[in-house]
Amino acid sequence: MRKWLLFFLLMMSVTGLSGCWSKKELSELAIISAMGIDKNEEGKYVKTVQFVNPGNVSGGLQGGGGGQGPAVTVYTAEGDTVFEAHINSSAKVSRQLYHPHANLVVIGEELARTEGVNVLLDVFERNAEVRSTTKLIISRDMKAGDMMKMLTAIDHIPAEKVNNTLKITEKMRGENVVVSLQDFIKWSTAPGIEPILSGFRVEGNLAEANKQESVMQMDPAANLEANGIAVFKDEKLIDWYEGQTARGVVWILDRVKQAEIDLEWEGKKDAVVYQVMRQNTTIKADTKKDIPEITIHVRAEGAIREVTKPVKLDDPNIIAEIERAAEKEIKQQLQKTVERTQKNQSDIFGFGQAIYRQNAKKWKGLQENWNETYFPQVKVNIEVEAFVRRTGLRTNDHLSELEKKQSKGGE
Amino acid sequence: MENAKISAYQLFVLIVLFELGSAILVPLAIDAKQEAWLAILISTLGGLCLFWLYFRLYEYYPDRSPVEYIQALLGKIPGSIIVFAYILFCLYLSARVLRDFGEMLVTVAYPETPLFIINTIMIAAAAYAVRKGIETIARTGELLFVLFSFLFISAFFLISVAGIIDVSNLRPAFENGLTPVVKTAFTQTLYFPFGEVVAFAMIFPYVNNAKEAKKAGLLAVLVSGVTLALMMASNTSVLGIELVSRSLFPLLSTIQTIEVFDFIERLDVYFMLASVIGGFFKISLFFYIAVRALAILFNEQQPIRLAYPIGMVILVLSMMTASNFSEHLTEGIKSTLFTHLPFQVVFPFLLFLLAAVKHRRKKQAGADGRDSL
Repeated sequence: MRKWLLFFLLMMSVTGLSGCWSKKELSELAIISAMGIDKNEEGKYVKTVQFVNPGNVSGGLQGGGGGQGPAVTVYTAEGDTVFEAHINSSAKVSRQLYHPHANLVVIGEELARTEGVNVLLDVFERNAEVRSTTKLIISRDMKAGDMMKMLTAIDHIPAEKVNNTLKITEKMRGENVVVSLQDFIKWSTAPGIEPILSGFRVEGNLAEANKQESVMQMDPAANLEANGIAVFKDEKLIDWYEGQTARGVVWILDRVKQAEIDLEWEGKKDAVVYQVMRQNTTIKADTKKDIPEITIHVRAEGAIREVTKPVKLDDPNIIAEIERAAEKEIKQQLQKTVERTQKNQSDIFGFGQAIYRQNAKKWKGLQENWNETYFPQVKVNIEVEAFVRRTGLRTNDHLSELEKKQSKGGE
Repeated sequence: MENAKISAYQLFVLIVLFELGSAILVPLAIDAKQEAWLAILISTLGGLCLFWLYFRLYEYYPDRSPVEYIQALLGKIPGSIIVFAYILFCLYLSARVLRDFGEMLVTVAYPETPLFIINTIMIAAAAYAVRKGIETIARTGELLFVLFSFLFISAFFLISVAGIIDVSNLRPAFENGLTPVVKTAFTQTLYFPFGEVVAFAMIFPYVNNAKEAKKAGLLAVLVSGVTLALMMASNTSVLGIELVSRSLFPLLSTIQTIEVFDFIERLDVYFMLASVIGGFFKISLFFYIAVRALAILFNEQQPIRLAYPIGMVILVLSMMTASNFSEHLTEGIKSTLFTHLPFQVVFPFLLFLLAAVKHRRKKQAGADGRDSL
């Protein structure tokens, strides 16, 4: 009898072992891949949620069923707070909303300009389901909601496409930065530094972009591209930096991995293309003066990638001259970025932070109105050391051979 | 006294698990800001002194439990009152850890499960361990310590490989001078977690080699202090001081930041496993010590029978101490000085003085050929 009772109890305990109090069946989940936030005319938050359609994601290898419809579905809901908008979207979705795979939050430019970004983030930071490494971007010149309705080629899930693009362009071009939710909050709350975000915009015909046919063409009707760095001041978006100015910011923040720089050579513009392969940038503050001085030191190493006119690359003296030219060019580019930023009165480089870390006492006297009063007056010295390490497979270019041939032919 | 023996290594393991148990959950020594790690190291030194003090007391009475020697030192009735107060202290701390740990699980992993259920499951496991005795707890500790240290070592490795450490977050050093650091060390961190080792006075008599036990204990305090300092230093350098001080579980946030090769990410389970293991041992040890002390104090021949009732007490206490988590945490920080200081420093020190005086007298008396004790 005792034996049987024990056996019975043991069997019963099996039912408890699976621990299914907060169980979530995969087939009952709506897996969120990205979220977008805007504000409508009535002043309500509009949250656009992009769900993955698991059946339609699988690539060609899988074969068989699926693959017909779009890989993602988009629902929109509004509310007085972001959380309310989120809860309201459950009226439209037949499954339980599931956050842990969400990897992207898009914020509409208009909202970022009028209200800023920080006020939207608490709900994400507080929720244990949301990754703190979720990336943040701004949708340029358009509503975040419209951007969410775009389909993308190659990476079928737009959030994936955006994140991968960002990561690769940060590495190859250095004109955008990958900023996560946590980074943004860290930047916003730390003393003496202001946050930045990357922007994305749509090239092409937006009206066509939410149809599956769009991505079935060789040349999609519209494409999402990383474009510009958003600069914030007093929580609000105030300016967009593009091209070299944007890269200057990334550079000063020491996040540039590779960058290509066109150099003028013997009177011809963009004659030598120098690619930085490795660089290190440090910001130092000299806090002895009344208004501290900042020194930005850049050390870059790279290679020659292209020349568009004959250059004697086998001559070390010429290489040294190219190095000087590269230093000058980089310095100029950074100077431009610094000037524009000082005019904007928003310390996105963290000069204040450098001062604070060097001399906390000094910072106490400066921190009030740092952005408006002291930051624009700070004298910034830029020191650049550039090195050309190699020139690829060839020394001298074939253009100089061509020139020789032509001049011989002319004789 | 239970007729059990544990080895010095097992004592080492138990102390490390005990000290790290709930200290890895919270932003430890956060009032010292960027120098939290330094405050922890300073209080580790204090912790070593405290451990030495507790062990010295044991060395005076190597074959008696604290319950007995406190009664011998202070007299039957005052001694019993102090011992009873210590038992309440252990029960309260056990309940606190249970609450910390349950709240963590509810917040992070089981938002829909009631706290009561989670705490019940944990205390049931702890009660089972307590019934099995200290040898079993120590062996379990030995086993799980391997996993625990693997988790810690690989987490530190991943954090450093992920390239998320920014050491400049630890600067500026000594923004407000050394005072807040020392103050935090001696008003908070010394008592939680280091002073809590006072409960181990009940465990010392079980160790089979007193000399080794002393070495193992001191080493354990040192190892846990350095680990905690390293943990806070990496929390601060990964998250920045603003984020750490706003986080309920900073180590979790640090671990969530890890992204290596695009697929080693969301390692929350690291944190959960480590804290469940540590939490289990801290709860069980306080629980076990309370049960043993109660049995000796009230002359209960079968202390095993106390395990479930006392477990219920701890469970209810853990639910009742605070109505929300903020209250619970505030209570923890505010009560530190009032309860921890007397139980962890003042009483042991007075007892030590008494024992030292008595011992000297006894020695003199022994030389005279009389036995006074």
